[in-house]
Amino acid sequence: MCDMVTLAANLSSRQNMRNALKGTWTDRILLLVALLCIALSWFVIQANIAAGPAVAEVYYDKTLMATYPLPQKGQASIHFQLEGKLGLSEVVIDEQGARISSSPCSSQRCVLSGSHRHAGDMIACVPNRILITLRGSSASRFDAIVE
Amino acid sequence: MKTSVLSRPPLHELESKASWLALLMLAIGLHIFEAALPSLGPWFKPGLANLITLLALVLMGPKHALSLAMGRVIIGSFFIGTLFTPTFVISLAGGMAAALVMIAAWRWIPGISLVGISLLGALAHMLAQFVTVESLFIQQAALYYALPPLLLLSCISGWINGALAGYIAARLEP
Repeated sequence: MCDMVTLAANLSSRQNMRNALKGTWTDRILLLVALLCIALSWFVIQANIAAGPAVAEVYYDKTLMATYPLPQKGQASIHFQLEGKLGLSEVVIDEQGARISSSPCSSQRCVLSGSHRHAGDMIACVPNRILITLRGSSASRFDAIVE
Repeated sequence: MKTSVLSRPPLHELESKASWLALLMLAIGLHIFEAALPSLGPWFKPGLANLITLLALVLMGPKHALSLAMGRVIIGSFFIGTLFTPTFVISLAGGMAAALVMIAAWRWIPGISLVGISLLGALAHMLAQFVTVESLFIQQAALYYALPPLLLLSCISGWINGALAGYIAARLEP
């Protein structure tokens, strides 16, 4: 008897959760509007960043410090240091993409995020005010890590 | 020698304070837990701590929800060691924006359920974080390239958290 009561309670709670997941008509309309806006902005951004050769743009705060083409297989890699708000960040651009190899920030998330080489990819180190964005003709795919 | 008698607050007032504190502690715990999770993207978190703000809103009202959102970011950041760092500012902006948008949606959008309120809160959270970073730290519009996929993730997490909040609220109501 006790088992039957428990089973009935479990079924009822599962039903409640399913109903809660469905939402109301207002919720669904809001979701639809949000998804349409996201899709539209995605297409606009991709149209802007996917054109041209694949390059890495390196920013410090408001300033575009440098633009480098992404090296192809066999081409020499690029290493440089960039003075940020906290200190020197080391950037490597090689055939695997762009990455921050060392940073003075505390969490090191920008370093741990590894290499990125697809249009729209981004590496940002907010404490050191450094941003690296990738644009140009490559498979457009989201990938980004920051601190 | 006279002894002053302290007036005892009414029981319902104490109960309300205790419930708010319990929710605050839960929110701080979830804030710390989320900070320990591997990053899915810039400033993206599953929004579990935000779920507690939503519960405070429907169970206690806007004032409690707003103070809980602020309290959990300040105390949570203290514990994870990010107090007054850029991470703290981004987190506070996101948390407050989400709380304000959820309060507005709860008050003024007819027919909305906790799922819709949570969805709008999650989107506001993500947008506020990007706007904060772009206006205070890295003033580059290129930051917004990463926004659409993260907003899509926010839609999913907001919808699921709203359903969870609805389920929990139904069980907590007397």
